[in-house]
Amino acid sequence: MKYTTFNQLSNNPLSEPMFFGNPVNVARYDQQKHQIFEKLIEKQISFFWRPEEVDVSKDRVDFQKLSDSEKHIFISNLKYQTLLDSIQGRSPNIAFLPIISIPELETWVETWSFFETIHSRSYTHILRNLFGDPSSIFEDIVENEEIKKRAADISKYYDDLIFAVQLWQTLGEGIHTVKGEVHEITLRNLKKKLYLCMNSVNALEAIRFYVSFACTFAFAERELMEGNSKIIRLIARDENLHLTSTQHILNLWAKGKDDPEMAEIAEECKQEATDIFLNAVEQEKQWAAFLFNQGSMIGLNKEILCQYVEFIANHRMSAIGLGQPFDVKSNPLPWMNNYLNSDNVQVAPQESEISSYLVGQIDAEVNAEDFGDFDL
Amino acid sequence: MNIKVTTLNGTYDVPFFDGDSTLESIERQGIAVQSHCRDGFCGACRCKLVSGSVDYKVDPLAFIDDDEILTCCTVPNENVELIFD
Repeated sequence: MKYTTFNQLSNNPLSEPMFFGNPVNVARYDQQKHQIFEKLIEKQISFFWRPEEVDVSKDRVDFQKLSDSEKHIFISNLKYQTLLDSIQGRSPNIAFLPIISIPELETWVETWSFFETIHSRSYTHILRNLFGDPSSIFEDIVENEEIKKRAADISKYYDDLIFAVQLWQTLGEGIHTVKGEVHEITLRNLKKKLYLCMNSVNALEAIRFYVSFACTFAFAERELMEGNSKIIRLIARDENLHLTSTQHILNLWAKGKDDPEMAEIAEECKQEATDIFLNAVEQEKQWAAFLFNQGSMIGLNKEILCQYVEFIANHRMSAIGLGQPFDVKSNPLPWMNNYLNSDNVQVAPQESEISSYLVGQIDAEVNAEDFGDFDL
Repeated sequence: MNIKVTTLNGTYDVPFFDGDSTLESIERQGIAVQSHCRDGFCGACRCKLVSGSVDYKVDPLAFIDDDEILTCCTVPNENVELIFD
């Protein structure tokens, strides 16, 4: 079906599926097929923040005090997060918007991606403070083999869906040969690609950030790099909301509350969805090994981080009906929860020293002797 | 009111304190359960509600299955039985 930016058909958006129905026409939010997306938009907008509001200048001094292995951990994590948000800042828009059929989901995806671009801009803010010229750090993201491996795995599901949708929207269903390659395009096939892509995005939002988050908060536990930690807490709060949205989409499909064909596909592709998640877990463990290959940091090592990835994966997988494959009974990093608590995300983010934050810093008390030196 | 809590580490009887959320009363007894946002949008504190009922203090945004509740933004209406797995 050809994409149109304003569908002239007078359709009822309340009877459209989330994806692969009619293209959206009127951006209206007075009625919603799936109210949750409107609520997520409101919540996300209420979280608005700008990286420049967070003072990271003290981090420059802290960074010089880190050991070489700690610097490697810190910078590598920033590179990886930069990659993740580079992908997430554009891909949901490009992959999902052309096939979305309800206005509230369309606007949610746009809001979601916009916040990922705030995250990307905050990495530049952090790095520009640490290095006069951060070019070499950014340039290494497309050179570093460890990061490239992950990039390929994350973007392949997006790219596969985007390409198939482009063929479908220009040529329709059928067997198409492009540059000698044969592609069978059916709506069922497209829906399957969408399902796998959504699972890959869900796994990304669910666990791919958490090794990096754990390292950042472990530095903050030692009162190091606290400006960076404040930014990452804001990012973590946003990512938790994004994860909620992908969990809702997957569960709406699986429980037959949207497109009945997607419920069949969810059942049919359960093993593939599980494999996508388990593969992400494995990659995150390998990332932990890479981070600690030059030595560990106080409070964290590869083993604890790997257990934490398994612990968090159990929770995230059970939320979408994939069971709990790992044998981890308790949270190996219980202090992480304090940093992921949205109450602890400060309202005045420019106060970068958590421990010295004061409320009502102006002393309004004036005594008569304060005027002792005054002559009129 | 009483909250019967079953985790992977055992079963506990937890008294509910007025002014607490379900989660806060459980934590008050030193029982380790998972939580992140504590504002109903992340779903980390999700658990199974075996019996009883709860009231939501904020509109929960996280996905919750029919037999599940969030503990961070609820208070029990009566004695409840919860399973964390």
